[in-house]
Amino acid sequence: MNVVSMRKLYSRLQSLLFASASVIVFFILWELAASYLQSPYFPDPYSVLKAFITIITVGDIDGYTLAWHTLMSLERVLLGFAVGSATGVPIGLLLGIKPTLKNAVTPIIEPIRFIPPIAWIPLSIVLLIGMYRYVFLIWVGVFFPVLLDTIAGVKRTSITLIQMARTFGADNKNIITKIIFPSSLPEIMNGLRVGLGVGWMCIVAAEMIGGEPVGLGRLILKYANLLQIDTVIVGMITIGLVGLAMNYFILFLEKRMFRWRVEIRA
Amino acid sequence: MDKAILLESVSKKYDVGSSSLKVIEDLTFDVNKNEFVCVVGPSGCGKTTLLRIVAGLEPPSSGRVLVFGRPPDPKIQRFGVIFQEDSLLPWRTVLGNVEFGLEIQNYQEAERERVAKTFLELVGLQGFENYYPHQISGGMKKRVAIARALAIDPDLILMDEPFADLDAQTRSLMQRELLKIWSKLNKTVLFITHNVEEAVFLAQRVVVLTKRPSRVKQIIDIDLPYPRARLSPPFISYRERILTAFHEELEGI
Ligand SMILES: Nc1ncnc2c1ncn2[C@@H]1O[C@H](COP(=O)(O)OP(=O)(O)OP(=O)(O)O)[C@@H](O)[C@H]1O
Ligand SMILES: [Mg+2]
Repeated sequence: MNVVSMRKLYSRLQSLLFASASVIVFFILWELAASYLQSPYFPDPYSVLKAFITIITVGDIDGYTLAWHTLMSLERVLLGFAVGSATGVPIGLLLGIKPTLKNAVTPIIEPIRFIPPIAWIPLSIVLLIGMYRYVFLIWVGVFFPVLLDTIAGVKRTSITLIQMARTFGADNKNIITKIIFPSSLPEIMNGLRVGLGVGWMCIVAAEMIGGEPVGLGRLILKYANLLQIDTVIVGMITIGLVGLAMNYFILFLEKRMFRWRVEIRA
Repeated sequence: MDKAILLESVSKKYDVGSSSLKVIEDLTFDVNKNEFVCVVGPSGCGKTTLLRIVAGLEPPSSGRVLVFGRPPDPKIQRFGVIFQEDSLLPWRTVLGNVEFGLEIQNYQEAERERVAKTFLELVGLQGFENYYPHQISGGMKKRVAIARALAIDPDLILMDEPFADLDAQTRSLMQRELLKIWSKLNKTVLFITHNVEEAVFLAQRVVVLTKRPSRVKQIIDIDLPYPRARLSPPFISYRERILTAFHEELEGI
């Protein structure tokens, strides 16, 4: 093994060490807080672990296991995400290419963007049923980051590249598919990553209004009503970990896709 | 209409804010079919603007521009334009970049690759097909752009200081290659340069522009057979003549 890879290995080990140290410190603080508070509503790490194992192996009060809750939530979020990207990317491309249209719709889009998904709950109960409710609420979270990043990506497209394409006789379709889209792809991917994260965070709000008793958000709500906070925390931790995993998955994809980008190394 | 390029009292002004900048004023000259013409002029005089007008990227503010007898339109005509600034697609490999123009021109996939490889070899970049633009040097990027422009078999080649970033050896190699391509393939070339020696080495005619707003200061026929010897007395005397005209324009800047 040469010196460079030795050094790499060493710095990897070091950051792993720091990371595990901070996790351990976190659990110690949690444990300390729990034993100080002595409250039935603030469980210590050990009772959360026990609840974790129960939900994974036995299931909740209705018999749904953690894997099942997670899968159902993932299905809803991915569906909302699919609709959010299928609308956000094309509309973003269109608005990025046509600034006059963008200026025309900005006064509508901008205020709507700041309405949180929870505020949409009453309207979606009145207007939508079943799966549409979940998809709509998650769409609200996904759409705007995707839209805004796509517009930003289009704006950053080099004029020289567009003119270069024109000198080869490219028509507008060619310019969009062969220049503007690939050039905006890094920003679009970033928007998708952020959008997926925001959509995932909307899962509790979305499942508040869905009928079925399954889903991570539902799990949290069910046990909140029962005042069993240890299982609520199980739901929270699972949401956090799945969100993290999705984020890393897209980051990994980005790395594979954008090898053409000059790497900026700090 | 047997002129490749015809410019008649072409003017171009840009409106920036409330003021307007006259870049080209009453510019008239023409380029014959299969002719090699160099344009030299001081920096900022409007050479790139002129090239963009000839390529049909921008209309003139007034005057008439005809390329092969019609207003320039790259959708109908085949232009090989080499931009002054970097114009490679960073997400495509060297090979993918050269294939770009062929794609737009609807070549079959197998044909694209074959043609692209031929032209990459011509500019001395075989072996770099799978490199991305950020992995090659500035001069290599220029050569990729040249290969890309030549690959579509253009009727008119428009080059904006294409060899400015190259080292002396590569530059002189590329100049000789360009002359070979030009004489072999019967192309019309409009070549913009800062470098007077380059102009005398390449061109049948050299158009010297005035400083902005640019007009034609002088047109000089270079009556020397190819290949030209840079140290021959007639070469040097052409070079001096053009340099004198060129320097008169530089003084006022
Ligand atoms: N789109 C534009 N809007 C406003 N002004 C412009 C525009 N394009 C060019 N100009 C102006 O026109 C003048 C000529 O520019 P141009 O790029 O044609 O010069 P050039 O002769 O190619 O210079 P160089 O030799 O340095 O490349 C410059 O003063 C420039 O500021
Ligand atoms: Mg220029």
